[in-house]
Amino acid sequence: MKTARVIYEDGKHKWIALVRDPNRPDYLIDSNEYLVVDDDDSLLLDPGGNEVFPSVFSALSTEFDPRKINKLFASHQDPDIISSLALWLEFNPQVKCYISWLWASFVPHFGGNKETFISIPDGGMDIMIGSQRLQLIPAHYLHSSGNFHLYDPKAKILFSGDVGAALLPQGEDDLFFGDFDRHIRHAEGFHRRWMGSEKAKHDWCQRVSQLDIQMMCPQHGAIYRGDQVRRFIDWFSHLEVGIVKG
Amino acid sequence: MAAVPQDTGRELRRIVRTNEEIKRVVATAFKINLMAMNAIFLAKRAGQTALGFGVLSNELRRFAMDLQKQMSQLREMTYGSVSTITALVKQARLNRVLERTRKESTGVGRSLIDEFMRTRHSLTFARHREQIAALNRRLSQMIADTAQLVELGSVLARSAKIEAAYGGAFSASLMQVSCDFERTIGDIQRSLESLTKRQDASL
Repeated sequence: MKTARVIYEDGKHKWIALVRDPNRPDYLIDSNEYLVVDDDDSLLLDPGGNEVFPSVFSALSTEFDPRKINKLFASHQDPDIISSLALWLEFNPQVKCYISWLWASFVPHFGGNKETFISIPDGGMDIMIGSQRLQLIPAHYLHSSGNFHLYDPKAKILFSGDVGAALLPQGEDDLFFGDFDRHIRHAEGFHRRWMGSEKAKHDWCQRVSQLDIQMMCPQHGAIYRGDQVRRFIDWFSHLEVGIVKG
Repeated sequence: MAAVPQDTGRELRRIVRTNEEIKRVVATAFKINLMAMNAIFLAKRAGQTALGFGVLSNELRRFAMDLQKQMSQLREMTYGSVSTITALVKQARLNRVLERTRKESTGVGRSLIDEFMRTRHSLTFARHREQIAALNRRLSQMIADTAQLVELGSVLARSAKIEAAYGGAFSASLMQVSCDFERTIGDIQRSLESLTKRQDASL
């Protein structure tokens, strides 16, 4: 099963990363799920696919009562992001799922009904978790056409979905990394191919440069800390994206 | 619990085969309707000598329309079965994932899954199974009713053959039409027999 790792804690405000299942079949892309907890309230970010549900659920239940999961956030519509929705709804039919308005009628194919989804407008919105206000930051076309990231001003953490993702080889798959130049090689191909728009990329770089970010948590790969975040934004802004090599 | 996914897959394949058989009967019923219309025109041309044949042709046309109506109800019923079985297949898939979750979980997570699966299994599977059983019973009853209706069609076709013998100059043509009716209705009877066998096996 995955491991639940507390990556931030300040009193009752916590971020838990659910990561690295050693038994994951190699035909499934690895994914990171994150749980933001504030007091008794919580928000599960990109809950993952159907196939990883057992691993996510079992890791999560070591740190948090899964019955209290009542809010999900899906950065976009992909199956590795939200195809486990039907299973979360089995546990709590009242679960609400925040997703771009663009996908609010597509994702119900994975489960849920009209009451399940809270549509996020293109400009983003805030979500209250306990006493903390979290911000949904537009990241459209990176890579999905209706795409959001989530910023927590208290923890200074940016959940960046597929931006910052890296396909790490075995042996280099620690949750945190040391050498930026070595790490970013594993992110380059992914970003060139999956990120479809130069304009969207520059908009995003500009937008997140204004945020105070201590940790940037992607949905695949390792977490960026401190100066690595600024270096990533700089690297990304200069990377040519939306191209197919060869 | 492990038998559920296999059962549902088999059940779904059975319903698909039933539906295909029903489509075949619907197409044949449409053919009888056209044949009956042609027979009515032929009887009119034959005049006085084919009055009885004309009456039977009208009855055969009514029979074809009743049969089409009956078969469209059967199709609706199989659609209902497909929906129920699809829901069951989906539940079974979720169940497999939950079973894996149970194996991977420990402590609170495990007991939570145990409790959840107990309640879920008894509620959802029992309900769906009962729904499928009820649908199968209704489907069997409707197939039996349809077989009776087709038996009536068969009697009409035989009577038409007898009437054709009194058709004078038109006797050969009327006989040809009657034999076509008999053969086509025979095809429907065979389809219904196969449907009945399949249903009996499922009950």
